[in-house]
Amino acid sequence: MNTLSVKENFVVRMALFDNVDSAAESIAKLKEAGIDDHDMTVLSGVPYPEHVLGRPMTWERLPLIAMSGAGVGFLIGLFLNVVTPLLYPIRVGGQPFVAIPPTIVLTYELTMMGLIVSTFLGVLWESTFPSFGPKYYDIHISEGEIGVLFQVTPSKLKHLTDLLQVYGAKSIIEPEEWRL
Amino acid sequence: MLSEKTAVTQSENYWRKHLMLDPRPVREMNQMILTAMTTVNKRYWITVTTLTLFVTIGLIGAWGYQIFNGMGVAGIRRPVYWGVYITNFVFWIGISHSGTFVSAILRVFKAEFRRPITRASELMTTFALTVAGLYPLIHLGRTWRFYWMIPYPNQRQLWPNFHSPLMWDMLAIFTYLIGSTLYLYLPLIPDFAMARDRTTGWRHRIYRILALGWRGSESEWHHLKQAITIFAFAIIPVMFSVHTIVAWDFGMTMVPGWHSSIFGPYFVVGAIFSGVSAVATVLIILRKTMQLDYFLREEHFDAIGKLVLVFSFAWTYFFFADYLTEWYGGEAVGKELLTLQARGPIAPLWYIMLITNILVPWLTLWNRKIRTSPKALLVITLGVNIGMYIERYIIVAGFLTRNRLPFDWGAYTPSIVEILISIGSLSTFLLLYVLASRLIPLIPVWEVHEGQISHTLRRVGQALLPSVSELE
Repeated sequence: MNTLSVKENFVVRMALFDNVDSAAESIAKLKEAGIDDHDMTVLSGVPYPEHVLGRPMTWERLPLIAMSGAGVGFLIGLFLNVVTPLLYPIRVGGQPFVAIPPTIVLTYELTMMGLIVSTFLGVLWESTFPSFGPKYYDIHISEGEIGVLFQVTPSKLKHLTDLLQVYGAKSIIEPEEWRL
Repeated sequence: MLSEKTAVTQSENYWRKHLMLDPRPVREMNQMILTAMTTVNKRYWITVTTLTLFVTIGLIGAWGYQIFNGMGVAGIRRPVYWGVYITNFVFWIGISHSGTFVSAILRVFKAEFRRPITRASELMTTFALTVAGLYPLIHLGRTWRFYWMIPYPNQRQLWPNFHSPLMWDMLAIFTYLIGSTLYLYLPLIPDFAMARDRTTGWRHRIYRILALGWRGSESEWHHLKQAITIFAFAIIPVMFSVHTIVAWDFGMTMVPGWHSSIFGPYFVVGAIFSGVSAVATVLIILRKTMQLDYFLREEHFDAIGKLVLVFSFAWTYFFFADYLTEWYGGEAVGKELLTLQARGPIAPLWYIMLITNILVPWLTLWNRKIRTSPKALLVITLGVNIGMYIERYIIVAGFLTRNRLPFDWGAYTPSIVEILISIGSLSTFLLLYVLASRLIPLIPVWEVHEGQISHTLRRVGQALLPSVSELE
């Protein structure tokens, strides 16, 4: 979950944690208290896998995008090796116009280039980069703290704040929207 | 029973030696990196000015002079048509293998010591490739004709010849340059965000753009980690292919000494040997000049020293396999090439190469004390790169002085223009690195922190031993 779509009449809070155990436990407690996974986002300075924090697995299209890019690269490689020599046939070094060994070399390079470029573009697409905000953030995240960003109805806020403090939240703040 | 005193002593010993077992608050590590990046003294500016001067003389002055007057100002003459330009090209492509090997391969195999050293080596790859990429243009002579190699049809609808190893070379280098630059950039995004949060003014503006709006959300991390994994697996075969194709530039010809099926792997091993050695050299200099002692420790030099030794073995194996085949074949021109190396004009260079690439590493790097001594390792690894440069020089320019027609033998001496351009390109690499060292976080703090979270000391019998748990 990259962004939190704030619902009407909900308030947003960020609980900051020093360690991952407290954060994971608090996320579990938030879920027990009725906060849906879609109403939470975790921000951290280190990549914690979903299962460490007890979060749902992210649906992943990146491998598909990467493979598609590789496919496009492969086709471009085939075009350059198989089609272009026939557009203006010139015999070089006694080799056939379309020769398999050089085709392997070039299609391989272009396939890899397609894979690499599409993986990069895939990351930008999937993470909606660049996106400079305003977005909920706190500078403590890049200092190693874990921020659990959640939205809740005002009536439940007090109860959840107390609960998170019991489970080790260092602070619970009303997060600012930053222009990153 | 493990006494408390012994446990404390053992723990302290581990903290001192291993970065992963000596965690510090992320805030403190961030500050160390930012301080290293923003501290510039008089010596730094003198270095930058001197290197800029060399770049100007070499790449603007000497190269400009060559473009204006033609390739006649270079020392290449019949039969030696490939000289130091191609030697430099092969050398820099070799250096570029450092980043991919140290970063991608060690990442794939989850070698934990890689964490603080990946960035510095990836940066070497990108800058070494940039410099290597200049040489085909320099060697071309009529540099402005470069566009003839871009794959599009000319006015007669004639496409470039894709059967030519030079076309393979161009595409392989572009693929590797694009791949290694993106592979450098992706793990940098969280570090740029860290720098964005703690800087002001022009630095903040640059880091803000480069961080792309990074916050460290679950999905951002997930995509980043997955992309890094895909890149790590994809870039390794590309790395192998690049230097193999460079070797094929030689191997596909019928030139004596070049037409060899072993050249591909021989060049790749040589490239990794020189690249890993260059990583050691750079890390030692960075540690000293940027006060990175906390991040770069004995354990890292020890590990890189071992890698240099292993690749010295591997390079020697390929070198000897190539040498023996030529020797046993007994072909007249082959014998002449071997005589040229052992007793001919290039013999002193050949013996220096054997000493720096085989004798010195084998006699020294088995010893942990030497491997962990930055000064000793600096001398050894600099020696390896001098040796590897000589190896390329012998293969490129040396072998061309002898061929199957004795009346067409010749000699080669690099001209002053070639020497100045070579110094200019070396200075370009150094200048780019020196400038980047103050702009780019050279230690990936998040990767170090991630590693420190995964490491603990576990009691096994009478000892405390390091234990790694995989977060993934």
